[in-house]
Amino acid sequence: MARPSRRPPGSPPHWPRHAIMIVVSFLMLIPFYWVVKTSLTGENIYAYPPRIVPVDPHLFNYVDVWYMIPFARYLLNSVIVTAMAIAGSLLFNVAAGYALTKHFPGRRWVVMLLLSCMLIPFQATIIPAYLITSWLGVLDTWLGVALPLLSTIICIFVFKASFEAVPRSLIDAARVDGLSEWRIVTRILLPLSKSAIATNVILTFIWSWNAFLWPLIAIRTPEMQTLPLGLARFLSVMEDTTGALYAFVVLVLIPGLAIFLMAQKEFIRGLTSGATKG
Amino acid sequence: MNWRSLTHRFVAVPLALLALVVAWNVYIAFNDHGIIEGEVRDRAGAPVAGATVIFFERNFVYYEEKQRATTDAQGVYRFTDMKTHVGQLEARTADGRKSERRQLRLWFRSQDTEVPPLVVEAPRA
Amino acid sequence: MTWFRRKRTREAALVVCFLLPSLAIFFLYRILPLGWNAWLSVHAWSPLKAAQFIGLEHYEEMLLDDDVFWQALANTLIFIACSPIAIAAALGIALLVNSDLRGAAVYRTIVFLSYPLMTVAVGIIWRWLYDERGGFINYVLRSSGLIDQPVKFLQSFDWALPCVILADFWQVLGFYMIILLTGLQSIPQHLYEAARVDGVPATARFLRITLPLLRPSIFLCIVVGILNSFTSFDLIYVMTNGGPGHATELLITYIYKAGFGQTRFDYAAALTVVQFLLLVVLTVIANRLSGGNAGSLER
Repeated sequence: MARPSRRPPGSPPHWPRHAIMIVVSFLMLIPFYWVVKTSLTGENIYAYPPRIVPVDPHLFNYVDVWYMIPFARYLLNSVIVTAMAIAGSLLFNVAAGYALTKHFPGRRWVVMLLLSCMLIPFQATIIPAYLITSWLGVLDTWLGVALPLLSTIICIFVFKASFEAVPRSLIDAARVDGLSEWRIVTRILLPLSKSAIATNVILTFIWSWNAFLWPLIAIRTPEMQTLPLGLARFLSVMEDTTGALYAFVVLVLIPGLAIFLMAQKEFIRGLTSGATKG
Repeated sequence: MNWRSLTHRFVAVPLALLALVVAWNVYIAFNDHGIIEGEVRDRAGAPVAGATVIFFERNFVYYEEKQRATTDAQGVYRFTDMKTHVGQLEARTADGRKSERRQLRLWFRSQDTEVPPLVVEAPRA
Repeated sequence: MTWFRRKRTREAALVVCFLLPSLAIFFLYRILPLGWNAWLSVHAWSPLKAAQFIGLEHYEEMLLDDDVFWQALANTLIFIACSPIAIAAALGIALLVNSDLRGAAVYRTIVFLSYPLMTVAVGIIWRWLYDERGGFINYVLRSSGLIDQPVKFLQSFDWALPCVILADFWQVLGFYMIILLTGLQSIPQHLYEAARVDGVPATARFLRITLPLLRPSIFLCIVVGILNSFTSFDLIYVMTNGGPGHATELLITYIYKAGFGQTRFDYAAALTVVQFLLLVVLTVIANRLSGGNAGSLER
């Protein structure tokens, strides 16, 4: 069934663009394929030449990974830390976003302060962050790992923009009805800000799930390690000739990929809203 | 309760995954008695009684003997209370015939498995 | 207690209450560390001894005696200098994907797929791709006859840093593409129509309409590119750990090693101060080059 071409008459043909994009897509997907192939193959992975298709494929490398390393423990740690980060960040960011919608003296200064905080990358703070977390006594705990992510400036501004888009009449009517401020937020503003909530959840999930440097610093015992740490540790411990390490990599990537594919729009919106803040 | 909200992808996908996990764990719960059984046959297909089947357990990079079982009159052997997910099986008869070493890989520890028949061959003279 | 019933004070108390947790987090993990770094960098301090003011001794040691610092600085600058290549490639892809191409959404997803991944996993994937036995790159090079012996990419003094940069390129390309795509889609179409009607050729349309209007997005990509060299710790740690020698040592990995390997928190703080200043200087330069005001279009 031939679809009528959508390009305006006189513009260049589409097939060269398709050709280039197919080559680009192929190059971008090769790393994925190579790793999946290695995790499924049943042969010595260091034999040269490597086969393009997995030889004698089997899924038992994944079973090995599950039992040989404390995968369940790492998964649990990652999940708990991420859940804490998401819950805490929703609470704090919503509150801060709402507070910023009100006009109070000094609001401009607070906004400028927050914007300037955005310029400080996390990597510039690791030494004191470690010392502070240690002084707070939450080093090597789930809370300590989640703590720096409990509030992020991008998400605060996303909520602020979302709340400001709600017509004031609704809020005023609610206030006349006698609702307390927090109830106004939860009953009226939040249900209308579903996309902001989704953005916050997705961004915090990705940042927390993939975080490596901060857990590396804040976690001192092997039982509390999160998935990225477990992966790095596995790399230095195991050097066998099976695809077990790559099965681990695939297992670790699946949640991130699944969440991303499920919530692409929100993720992209969250990233670009940080871009258009100015 | 708003049933439409259940079909939204943010709800449906996690629920589906949760259902998968629960179903898998239920399957495991019903099949984890640690029973490994199978038959020993000879070249002609006849069952071999009285053969010893050895189960080797993996210990880092080599395999060491863990348990033995003897086949009954129908050539069937049975290991119970096995706790590993990977191992090797080999059958030996009293008169020196051996089978190949069969690699055994399971989906979860203590999985009840029925192994395809081990064929004992006479050693080449 | 009449003051409490006044609406203004209630509202002020509410604002403070709501802002407090976030501000506390930012104070603890952004503002305080900045100041603490500066303070630590001019003191000699170890966890067991009291702090002692030593002025600029750490900076002297860093700038005069420390070869690793200079190597790390050079590597970081090379890393940053390669980001325009990635941005240009992403711009090309964004232009291709922005047109009403069938299946553009699929291409977009494929290119962006690498960004939300765990960087540690990306490092392991690329380490495997570069492997001299089982790796894809050596396989392609050898089977196409370009080289005879496998090249140990990640253990070579010359190739290690470009290889790490390529791995980072793969991951960050999708992000640049998305930013540029958003910028492209906000350019009003009627400008192109008017130019086409006026007979302006395609390249001039690109240079005169597209590029200037993309300035904010390009500026953002440049800033992200600068930050990327600071955040690539995961990649280096997993792929080469700074090696061979210090050929892939970045400032951030050196800071980590100084602070948590050698436990020289004060020296690491001095290094962090230098890194932060570098970031500020580079951002200001980028700002100037994009025409000031964060590249935005209002004058």
